Amino acid sequence: MSEVAIQIRGMNKFYGTFHALKEINLTVQKGDRIVICGPSGSGKSTMIRCVNRLEEHQAGVIEVLGTELNDEVGNIDVIRRDVGMVFQHFNLFPHLTVLDNCTLSPMLSRKVSQAEAEKTAMMYLERVKIPEQAEKFPGELSGGQQQRVAIARALCMKPEILLFDEPTSALDPEMISEVLEVMVELAQDGMTMLCVTHEMGFARQVADRVIFMDKGEIVEEGPPEDFFNSPKEERTRTFLQQILSH
Amino acid sequence: MLKTRKARAWAIQIGFLAIVAFLLISSTLVARDTLHAQGMNSGFGFLDRSTGWDVGFSLIEFSPFDTYGKVIVVGLLNTIFLGIIGIVLANVVGLTIAVFRTSENGALNAIGTLYIEIFRNVPIILQAFFWYAILTHLPRPKDAYNLGEVAFVSARGVYLPGLNVTGSSALIFFIALVLGIFFYIWFTSARRFRSLTPSAKKNGKLTIVGLVLVIAVAALVMGRIPETNLFSIPTLKGLNIREGIRIPPEMSALAVSMAVYGGAYLAEIIRAGFLSVGKGQAEAAEALGLSPWYVFTRVRLPLAFRAILPTLTNQYVWLFKATTLGIAIGFTDFFSVISVSINQSGQTLELIAILMVGFLVMNNTISFVLNRVNKAIKLKGTQLRT
Ligand SMILES: Nc1ncnc2c1ncn2[C@@H]1O[C@H](COP(=O)(O)OP(=O)(O)OP(=O)(O)O)[C@@H](O)[C@H]1O
Ligand SMILES: [Mg+2]
Repeated sequence: MSEVAIQIRGMNKFYGTFHALKEINLTVQKGDRIVICGPSGSGKSTMIRCVNRLEEHQAGVIEVLGTELNDEVGNIDVIRRDVGMVFQHFNLFPHLTVLDNCTLSPMLSRKVSQAEAEKTAMMYLERVKIPEQAEKFPGELSGGQQQRVAIARALCMKPEILLFDEPTSALDPEMISEVLEVMVELAQDGMTMLCVTHEMGFARQVADRVIFMDKGEIVEEGPPEDFFNSPKEERTRTFLQQILSH
Repeated sequence: MLKTRKARAWAIQIGFLAIVAFLLISSTLVARDTLHAQGMNSGFGFLDRSTGWDVGFSLIEFSPFDTYGKVIVVGLLNTIFLGIIGIVLANVVGLTIAVFRTSENGALNAIGTLYIEIFRNVPIILQAFFWYAILTHLPRPKDAYNLGEVAFVSARGVYLPGLNVTGSSALIFFIALVLGIFFYIWFTSARRFRSLTPSAKKNGKLTIVGLVLVIAVAALVMGRIPETNLFSIPTLKGLNIREGIRIPPEMSALAVSMAVYGGAYLAEIIRAGFLSVGKGQAEAAEALGLSPWYVFTRVRLPLAFRAILPTLTNQYVWLFKATTLGIAIGFTDFFSVISVSINQSGQTLELIAILMVGFLVMNNTISFVLNRVNKAIKLKGTQLRT
């Protein structure tokens, strides 16, 4: 029954001469919930940004939902429509209302009617528990609310896969839980998720697999119990000690 | 008494106005007495006298028997006409060059930089002479460049197809059209109309479109010149081109100069606007699957526009004043009409006053409207991070 959502084989990424990602191999099945962690600068963001071509890889193969990511514009469009992304700094469109943020892409790139798009948007805004903010502008919402709008906006495209790049690290502690709560619910509904996060509680609770990256490589990966209780690699142990000690 | 900030602000303004009014009234009285002593008439009575001279280009019917009042209106309309065309074209040029300058394509980038370095650094009056020289050295009408038998380009001007209607009715037609477009955009995008039901929205749109159509058609029908075809297509007859609308080279030269020179300045402002848009917003738009065109038109452009609108307003006001270059190459704009009138009538003070008030009103209208727009579209809320 399991279908492959993302397949990465021998992927390498360079920034100029800097080797940012080295021989990445990763298979994500539909419904998988994967947490990626690692020290700053290890290439976590770069890796998930390669999945929807916000960054271009130089060698190896990335296949998303059976479509290969190459220079074909058509392929990139198809993949981006099916892969949603949530950013650290929310990146909402500040000139549009919350509702318009959510309906913009469905109407323009999926050609959904306005009424239909608004209905879907309200449904997802309800799901992230802020339907009453629909007519406000992003700048009028708290950080936690903005991030939930960003999640709703991504969901409105009805994506198969959701990428999260440190979705809670720009938030104050009391807002973190409201965003995590939404993410846990999404996970329980079976969404395929790739999350870069240092929220280890979240990783323990929902992840099928935790991936540890360092210096552009995947150092270790495994189910959360093994990963947290008996890490195999020295580098992983050092990292876990650091983040769990505070 | 003047304890609150508001009260103080009011007091300062009232005091200021009182001083200005005092200066104005006293200087007017002094000037009138002086002029009277020299045996000159002051006052605006001359506006009803006929001019006795003709103008080179007018949007409405004008003859030497018409009054000074009318010739001033002719100049005003010409200035507004030229100003609008010049500013619109300058925006097109500016946006194009700004897109070139911010693109990742090396060749486009170089073209953009070269353009700005050349045209920003040559004074606009020289550019006006330059374009005027080029345009007046085009072939004579009998050898004019023929653009598909409907338009001609020659040293005597550009001939475009038009309608056989009076100038005033064409003017009303255009004003109706511009206002119609303005109200349509306002109605479809202003927040206050958002909560209307779909059918109310539809009715509103239909009303606007219908009203504009009725006014526009009525203006054309009433202004029809009898015993002519509705369409006036320029044609070559003998040595000259008959019919159509002639845009004289003076006007084209000024419009091109404003577009080219103003465009260079606008390009840099617009480029700064693009650079101020957070990369994150464009990335989010891409990640949502929006095409490059939509990322540009729905996210980058509107955000850049908001960032630079106050500066743009400034530039538009500045560019509008460039219409006064008409006097250098013989276009009958507001400034040159006033200056000829001063020579012919001797009513210097009155005409200068009209000139100043005219520009104050026009430029303040531009900034008033754009400031209102700025206020309406500025980003709401204080919690933005980019
Ligand atoms: N546009 C770029 N140009 C050059 N180098 C880059 C660029 N973006 C990232 N890098 C480098 O690539 C490496 C990986 O960066 P990346 O942003 O993926 O790290 P990260 O694991 O997400 O770190 P963090 O936890 O701080 O977000 C870093 O060493 C960074 O300096
Ligand atoms: Mg990162």
